Amino acid sequence: MKLFTEIFVVLIITFVTVGSAFAKEVNLYTSRHYDSDDALYQKFTDKTGIKVNVISGKGKALMERLASEGTSSPADVFITVDAGNLWKVQKDGMFQSINSSMVDNIVPANLRGPNNEWVGIAKRSRVMYYNPVTVSSDEMEGLSYEDLSDPKWKGRVAIRSSGNMYNQSLVSSLIANHGVDATEAWAKDFVGNLARKPEGNDRAQIMAVANGEADIAVANSYYIGLMLSGKKGEEQQSAATKVELHFPGQNGRGAHINVSGAGLLKNAPNKGNAVKFIEFLLTDEAQSHIVNNTYEFPMREGVAPSDLIAQFGSGFKEDQTAVASYGEFNPEAVKLMDRAGWQ
Amino acid sequence: MNFSLWQITPVTLFLIFIAPVAIVLFSLTGDYSENWSHLYNYVLIGYIKNSFYLILGVSLTVLILGVGTAWIITNYDFSFKNFFEWALILPLAVPPYILAYTFTGLFDTFGTANNLIREIFDLSRDFTFFPKVRNVPGAIIVFSFTLYPYVYLVSRMAFINQSRSIIEAGRTLGLNKLEVFYKLAVPMIRPAIIGGLMLVVMETISDFGAVDHFAISTFTTGIFRTWYGMYDIETAMQLASLLLLFAITLIIIERYSRRNASYSNAMSLYKPLSHEKLRGFKNFLAFSACFIPIFIGFILPVVELTYWALNYKLDFFNEKFISTAWNTFYLAIIAAFFCSVLAVLINFSIRYKSNNYLKFMSSFLTVGYAVPGLILAIGVMQMLTFIDKSFVSNIPNIVFTGSIFGLVLAYIIKSYALSNSTIDAGYQRINERIDDVARTLKTSGWSLLSQVHLPLLKTSFLTSMLLVVSEVIKELPATLILRPFNFDTLAVYTYVYAAEERMYDAAAPSIAIVMVGLIPIIILTRMIRRSRPASRY
Repeated sequence: MKLFTEIFVVLIITFVTVGSAFAKEVNLYTSRHYDSDDALYQKFTDKTGIKVNVISGKGKALMERLASEGTSSPADVFITVDAGNLWKVQKDGMFQSINSSMVDNIVPANLRGPNNEWVGIAKRSRVMYYNPVTVSSDEMEGLSYEDLSDPKWKGRVAIRSSGNMYNQSLVSSLIANHGVDATEAWAKDFVGNLARKPEGNDRAQIMAVANGEADIAVANSYYIGLMLSGKKGEEQQSAATKVELHFPGQNGRGAHINVSGAGLLKNAPNKGNAVKFIEFLLTDEAQSHIVNNTYEFPMREGVAPSDLIAQFGSGFKEDQTAVASYGEFNPEAVKLMDRAGWQ
Repeated sequence: MNFSLWQITPVTLFLIFIAPVAIVLFSLTGDYSENWSHLYNYVLIGYIKNSFYLILGVSLTVLILGVGTAWIITNYDFSFKNFFEWALILPLAVPPYILAYTFTGLFDTFGTANNLIREIFDLSRDFTFFPKVRNVPGAIIVFSFTLYPYVYLVSRMAFINQSRSIIEAGRTLGLNKLEVFYKLAVPMIRPAIIGGLMLVVMETISDFGAVDHFAISTFTTGIFRTWYGMYDIETAMQLASLLLLFAITLIIIERYSRRNASYSNAMSLYKPLSHEKLRGFKNFLAFSACFIPIFIGFILPVVELTYWALNYKLDFFNEKFISTAWNTFYLAIIAAFFCSVLAVLINFSIRYKSNNYLKFMSSFLTVGYAVPGLILAIGVMQMLTFIDKSFVSNIPNIVFTGSIFGLVLAYIIKSYALSNSTIDAGYQRINERIDDVARTLKTSGWSLLSQVHLPLLKTSFLTSMLLVVSEVIKELPATLILRPFNFDTLAVYTYVYAAEERMYDAAAPSIAIVMVGLIPIIILTRMIRRSRPASRY
């Protein structure tokens, strides 16, 4: 029984010490997992003396934890990479207004919550990648997401599965602009044009274009920066040089935009620190740290995107659809894709 | 009725342990949203079909791999047999989703293996040698080769304890070697095999990572699609409840199938094992039969991961790695210890009081293993926040939620099935007459457990610890949602990268999971080997 007692004592000690609190801190639940984010939080601590405590996990799981903890939740800030998730937390009444003129000045209205409960901290666009050998620039001129249902793209398009939230947001934005019926008709034709059964992540779609398995792929903008940087190995680096990036819908609504965003939780025990933290994320220093590590687009004007992304042109036309609508239409988008046979 | 400690303890534990599963099941009493008609009309049949083929394929394959290798190891002497005996457990250290990533890295159209073949034979880029793996057959291979050790372990233990005399009697009565195997040896250890198989089936249906990576729509991916995509956790919980009911049905069938059978060993007839020495082609066959599962389930992923880790991300092995590895290790040991103790207490109570109602409870505890980890973790979390809010509301912050204690509790609830199956099998092998003898010697209650049963259960106890340790090291969903601030385990690191299919980055932590998992596997298999009776002959 001695071993039993010893283990029990260790357990109790660990359990008590973990619970102890620091005075100057901010508690963060995040579904972003970049090594570079840890470095960013450290910069904040160095600057302000406020310690950043982090729990990272899947967005929806963290949201469930927030809901379950309710008013006694220790969380101050929730960060996620999909506006739909932010909208859902906002709708469930778990956020409060951030009340910061700095935030109001920097973030455009379509990229934050209706009462400033959450704000975008970096932008990403869902763009197209094509093989310049098999696709002419004439074909690409002004090409929009809607155009990809055209029969001339039959067997030429690569995209990942409909379980992915980036695709769900894209389809939600189409619903927001065209309604369910028109979007469903589009989706059916679009699925018929796929070069292969959806598989792999966004980078796998770009690789498919580079390898000649498809002529055109839909994937997020920052992946090309990641591949070109060489951080993913030589194979991906050389593949990335074989494809061209196209910003869709430049003659129409513009390219689909989504955000990494941060929201202020209703019961934030360290509200003051939390607002400081969110403001910090929008400073020049933090913004350029983010864009140079994750290859996202900056939220703040005057901060240049990474060169690896800027080379494809940074003055592209952005779709102004409110990102909050993605959340609203997300459940409908998923069902629509099921009906269209989008795996 | 006079309640003793041996009845009250399991009842109390039962209530705590059953709550998370009950919370999931309770969703069935709620409203059914309109999403049900969508699921029914468009996707549910597809989910069920894929899950069914998966279960069927995996079951057949692990039976062949697990029982087959256990029989060969127990009965024959061949090259490297002593090595294979414990090495066959190694794939336990490899989570199915990691093998799935390895498979796509190797066998995708432009994967390492296909590229290599093209290079060697100087073939064009259009030529693809290996078939596609992102499909149901591919998933069957992935699950079978990572999960067969469950069946191997229980079959091996059962074969060892099987009386030689019966096998010899079979031979004398004219059965050939093959007939002895499938007419006598296998039917005799059927309960053990089915116990192991149930673990495999439950783990297969609850898996999300591997099937999601292969883009196969199963019942479990459907649960998460409903939750994540349709924002409908109620319907997701209801779907998960159906998985639970399926597991409960399996357990009832299993109990029913062995209701009249008594598989206790006739100890007096026990004879030591004799190994037939194999030579030539037969030696090679036996060697291959044991080598192939280890090659696919362990060597292949380890080599591929090492290659990736060396090429892309070695800086992972720093001070932070040490603290993360330590977190993983001690959590696993603590959870394994308590989980095994719990299984012994409950199974002892069942035997000591021979109470049907306890038996039922114990079975019910095991169904947690069939629930997707994250759904069970939600149940655990809701229970913990409920306790926090009801009993410790005067403390400003949450106490149990996000504590190490809550985490260990979640691991125990998830892994109880592993401990129960080994401890239960261990008790099956202790002749009931031993208890009667002990009683006549005035040994009962605590002393019966500690002085008579525990020494006899040592092998089972260690096996139980081994299974739970390797499970907890790989465990992810509960860790992600229940952990304290700034607390990482190795699996969290793997997830962080693998979630975005950054497999090169995920390679180093994956290797670390395998390596940390190896330590207890090696230590415990050595202890198991020393503790079992056959080694004394």
